[in-house]
Amino acid sequence: MSMKTKLWVGLGAVALMGADLSVSPTHDLSLGLGSMAYAASPAGEGGEGGSEGGGAMPTSFKLNSTDANAFQYDAKAQVGGYAELVYDSYKASHEGAVKLQKAVTAFLAKPTTENLAAARIAWVNARIPYLQTEAFRFYDGPIDIDAKGEEGPEGHINAWPLNEAFIDYVKGAAKSGIVNNPKIKITADSILENDQVDDEADVTTGWHAIEFLLWGQDFSATGPGNRPASDYAAGKGNNDRRRLYLKTVTDQLVENLAGLADAWAPGKDNYAKTFQALDQREALGRVFAGLASLAGHELMSERLQVALDSGDQEDEHSCFSDTTRNDFIYDIRGMRNVWYGDSQGKDRPGLDALLAAQDPALALKIAGLINKSEAYAAALPQPFDSVLVSAKDSPERKNAEALAASLKDLADGFADAGAKLGVLVVIPTE
Amino acid sequence: MRLRFLAAALVLWAAPLAAEDLPARLGGDTSRAILGPQAFTLNAANQSAARQREFFFGNRLFNTNWVIAPSSTTKFDGLGPTFNRVSCSSCHTRDGRGRSPAEAGGDMMSMLVRLSVPGIDAHGGPKPHPAYGDQLQDRAIPGVPAEGRAVIRWVDIKGAYPDGTAYVLRKPEFKFAKMAFGDLGADILFSPRVAPQMIGLGLLEAIPEAEIRAGADPDDKNGDGISGRVNEPWDFATSKPALGRFGWKANQPSLRQQNAAAFNGDMGLTTSLFPETGCNAVQKACRKAVNGGEPEVEDEFLRKLTLYTQTLAVPVRRNADDPGVKRGEILFGEAGCTACHRPTWTAGAHEAPEVAHQTFHPFTDLLLHDMGEGLADGRPDFLANGREWRTPPLWGLGMIPVVNGHDELLHDGRARGPEEAILWHGGEAEKARERFKALSKADREALVAFLRSL
Repeated sequence: MSMKTKLWVGLGAVALMGADLSVSPTHDLSLGLGSMAYAASPAGEGGEGGSEGGGAMPTSFKLNSTDANAFQYDAKAQVGGYAELVYDSYKASHEGAVKLQKAVTAFLAKPTTENLAAARIAWVNARIPYLQTEAFRFYDGPIDIDAKGEEGPEGHINAWPLNEAFIDYVKGAAKSGIVNNPKIKITADSILENDQVDDEADVTTGWHAIEFLLWGQDFSATGPGNRPASDYAAGKGNNDRRRLYLKTVTDQLVENLAGLADAWAPGKDNYAKTFQALDQREALGRVFAGLASLAGHELMSERLQVALDSGDQEDEHSCFSDTTRNDFIYDIRGMRNVWYGDSQGKDRPGLDALLAAQDPALALKIAGLINKSEAYAAALPQPFDSVLVSAKDSPERKNAEALAASLKDLADGFADAGAKLGVLVVIPTE
Repeated sequence: MRLRFLAAALVLWAAPLAAEDLPARLGGDTSRAILGPQAFTLNAANQSAARQREFFFGNRLFNTNWVIAPSSTTKFDGLGPTFNRVSCSSCHTRDGRGRSPAEAGGDMMSMLVRLSVPGIDAHGGPKPHPAYGDQLQDRAIPGVPAEGRAVIRWVDIKGAYPDGTAYVLRKPEFKFAKMAFGDLGADILFSPRVAPQMIGLGLLEAIPEAEIRAGADPDDKNGDGISGRVNEPWDFATSKPALGRFGWKANQPSLRQQNAAAFNGDMGLTTSLFPETGCNAVQKACRKAVNGGEPEVEDEFLRKLTLYTQTLAVPVRRNADDPGVKRGEILFGEAGCTACHRPTWTAGAHEAPEVAHQTFHPFTDLLLHDMGEGLADGRPDFLANGREWRTPPLWGLGMIPVVNGHDELLHDGRARGPEEAILWHGGEAEKARERFKALSKADREALVAFLRSL
């Protein structure tokens, strides 16, 4: 091996960018990628703008090599296993949301403190399978781009941070929000029309909107928000509008998750079919993009480091319910599911075995980093707020910093694994 | 098959990219090859992990919706009392470019109007209007009146190329409505400005001052019909005039000051650099409003936001090898455009290691030029007179439609694409414009294709 192997991506009809292009600042692919070329986006001219979350993808993930024997492996089983995992995961998430919907219906029928508590528990339980689907984001899959090529439902499902005052009353502003604005008729359409229009934080839908409607603002350092069940007593003030709002956004969430399960359902003419028909390495590129972006950008940076540096509850992902610790734990679980292929008692072909055949040491390293990240996430305090207000050298903060470092190493590990498997791993930022 | 592909690649590689060897990486080592709607949002490709963390916090600040004080988020409150928008990103959506209201007469979502009256202030800058200050804030917190609104209307101007091809330009006309403190008065000077894209600003900040000054030719000694003057706005950190680099009239000397001024003017937020909220004496409710701390934006936040604005990557060029684009590049030079839109600079030392000593290609000289009566705002701004504008950088031009879904150019968004922007050029740029107009249709399209490749 005296000569360095050269790799590049995306040679096609599009003009070759003959330059020394860095791909990810977090990572040096160290396989001669310095001389890698990158295809121009066909949408580079006269496009119609686009949605956040879309378009940060390379046109091709597949690395070409001067070594004719490179990347000779078969990943058909893994690509199929991934599609199956995604379907099973969205299906489980949809089932969780249906249970939440039932609990919300029961609560609205009889708005007691007990029924509110039951609805909150249903929300927490429904989040667990949903969080495990977050590893399927960041590659313009159905969650990010819908079948018509338009913005997918992610922004309506899990947008945050959220200007809660845009939805309902807050401390110091009893009349704020859509709930208290009789000029806006509360329908699924009107809520969607008002979602993130002037501002990305004017979120009206999704998990965190429901969370705010169930818990209310959190002013406690030790517990979650404490909205009274009486907010939902029928016939009083704007309660009927609030009742309708909660029902409407819960129904929307169920519908969105059903749509995602459908897009991945086997045996249909849908995204799962398209995905499995991709060149194997183009499919794997998407899988890795999801993993690396969730670990190295979304979790490490947006949800952890930013919160640690600001010390502000606004930067806590699930701030009303104080379930942010779960967000970390089950997002990492989602990455584990993809890596090994198993979840919900099913054993599907995973990436671990595929990489182990090429580079057992790297496969072992990634396994170790998943374990480590899970351990640090498990050691996060409950509620997560207490890290944000903790002193610089406190054990809580050190643990959270260790989680950030571990997530970064994991993202780098995914990029290394991608390079071994002939796949470009890009971590897009926002 | 694979080998043949590679051979083709190597041939292309070896071929010169363009007449002047303009590389794909306009922003040097900061350049990013991720295209699409996120093309302006990325951190410099050569940024270290430690600084990336600060960049992301800066990104958080850039996207922060500042809220009214008092609030539970004490570090992020203090909006207003009067303001234009609640976050940086509301105007610079996806770190991109603002536009004029989509419907004539509509609210300004990503542009604002600067105000002044004849004369200068204590620092040699525009003299603020006694009631409205130096910027019309068209929004306010509850209980405080918004200052008023600027209403835009378009007037068509017809023209034709020498080859007979007709074109229509549109010129904005403004009137002011719902003015809370009475009419602006007959001697009002105003200047509408859209939010420019945020890419590559640190590189511009890192150009050695002497080199920018060396390009100035205020008396046109070289007789090329192009003067080029520096602006020297007040530097509030050093309390003396300094070379202007940023803003449509180069009226800001540094990104830190630009950011602090935008916090102050656009969002009503105080910083250590601008500790006063701009409520003039007549704005009584404004003066009484609760503030969000002194200052409202802490220094560490201003530092991280500044790091963010210094290290947003420049996207790589697209279609650089297209024959039309290559032809357009040559025509761009031949028409004389590069006399002001200077292609290449090399940065000097800078506090941001990502940009220091990089060679890059912004297509600006950062100087003020008389752009003629058609573009004149008639509002002096430090040394810039009412006909002068700073040469804007052209990098990222072709990505604006992808990032922001529009193609509006020039200070008030009047040009609908590069061609109209060229046709608006007057004054010192008149000769270059006439050369462009005299080109064949195919050549004009090639020149525009070159601009869109940037």
